[in-house]
Amino acid sequence: MEASQSADDFIPAALAAFGVEADEIELAVMRAAQEMFWPPILELLALDTSGVAPEPAPDLSQAPPRR
Amino acid sequence: MSEPLDLPLREQAAAIAAGQIEAGELLEAALARIEARNPAINAVVETFPERSREMAAVAPPGPLHGVPVVIKDEWPLPWRAQRFGAADMLAKTAPGESGPYRALRDAGAVIVGVGNMHELGASSTGNVSVYGPARNPWNLERCPGGSSSGPAAAVAARLVAGAVGADGVGSIRYPATYCGLTGLKPTFGRSAMDGHHMAGVSTTIVSGPLCADAGDCRLLGSVLYGKELRAGDAGALRIGVIEDEVSADVAPAVGEACEAAIEELQRATGGEVRTIELPELPAATLATVLIANSESLGGVTPERLNSLDPELSPLGRGLLKYRLMLPAVATVKAHQVRTMARQRLAEVFEEVDVIAWPTVPAVAPPLEAPLVELPSGTLTADAANVRSGALANLTGIPAISVPVGSSEGLPIGLQLQAAWGRDELLLDAAEALERANGRRWVDAVPPLAAAEQTEA
Repeated sequence: MEASQSADDFIPAALAAFGVEADEIELAVMRAAQEMFWPPILELLALDTSGVAPEPAPDLSQAPPRR
Repeated sequence: MSEPLDLPLREQAAAIAAGQIEAGELLEAALARIEARNPAINAVVETFPERSREMAAVAPPGPLHGVPVVIKDEWPLPWRAQRFGAADMLAKTAPGESGPYRALRDAGAVIVGVGNMHELGASSTGNVSVYGPARNPWNLERCPGGSSSGPAAAVAARLVAGAVGADGVGSIRYPATYCGLTGLKPTFGRSAMDGHHMAGVSTTIVSGPLCADAGDCRLLGSVLYGKELRAGDAGALRIGVIEDEVSADVAPAVGEACEAAIEELQRATGGEVRTIELPELPAATLATVLIANSESLGGVTPERLNSLDPELSPLGRGLLKYRLMLPAVATVKAHQVRTMARQRLAEVFEEVDVIAWPTVPAVAPPLEAPLVELPSGTLTADAANVRSGALANLTGIPAISVPVGSSEGLPIGLQLQAAWGRDELLLDAAEALERANGRRWVDAVPPLAAAEQTEA
């Protein structure tokens, strides 16, 4: 299924589940966002991160601890 | 340039300290210049002359004693709550003393106005704001960059010599590039941030300076950091460049100017250029967007989303609601990508001192249609810009954008990124580059400012 098709199904269903209303322009914005973001999100989900050792509470002002 | 307002920030401060200019005189000159030039660029959305005069009257001795500056509409002031460029924002705000305000006040600076910004900080263009768009002083029909659009346009038009912006996903560096300025994104957590509505929640946003050159960024940055950013020698700089599809996907003029600047920097410092690999970069870009967007959801309720101010742009309303649909598992993955990227960068910075690439892949796009033409095709400016801006925010490293060229009469910027805490090195490198190119680009003045100087 293309991202545009999934957006047509997913967005109204998700909004209904959250109880959030949207007008036609907002829906168009969300469809465009879905088409832009969903394919890379699916790529991200497919990324194998099982070997990534966690960095608990990372201090972003510093380099990560040496491993 | 003979007008005091046209002097660099550090020379304004020195002239006041030497008694050559009165702080009050400089403030009135800044207010007059805002009145004269701002209608064309909409960079400053509010002035408060009496508050500014009070600040000038009681300004303590300090590194910015009596110097007028602009602050982005992202922090509260004691007399004004931030609006975040929007008719509505999810967070509650109130007037107050933010960290950047206190830092400026205690350094003796005079806040002369509030800078425009892209609505909700949500774009690299600056073409949507509750105040109307800011305009690029180099070409009034082009985007000034975002989200720190007003601070950048104000400095480029020489309304002030320094402004405070914020950078959550490139929001200092993009407008610095589009407006021909130097913009520093500090290492995460090192610059004043309290009082921001996302302080303590955001893991990407920092405050930082936008100025004409690195010397002024060093001065204003030192105030925001609360410590002196000492000048040093960039040394024999090991410059890392990436040769991948994204790095190659830049407008030819931008690629050529940045390559030339990297060569100049290498020659000037007696350093070397090394090719590095960052295979995590594409995933890191999306990860940054996911983390930054999810962090702003804390105050969201369906009821709140159903009662957004209708004056908020349709784009803003739609994107706020869309954030609800970002899957939690993707955000978890995004944090894992952050870990991977940080570990990889720690290794890279054992091999190189800085990573260099174009700050954005094309010059400022039209305000009415912010699209850019790249070798890969036509992209929205946001989609193109985030690829080079996000990594520093995801990982926490510092980054700087420096002007290095021009195309179609619009500035081109080179981004340098360094390891955590090496913010001073970025300033040293930027200054080395300025010396190498004879300050050609940092001293360039846009037509809006140059015309009046000629008339004067």
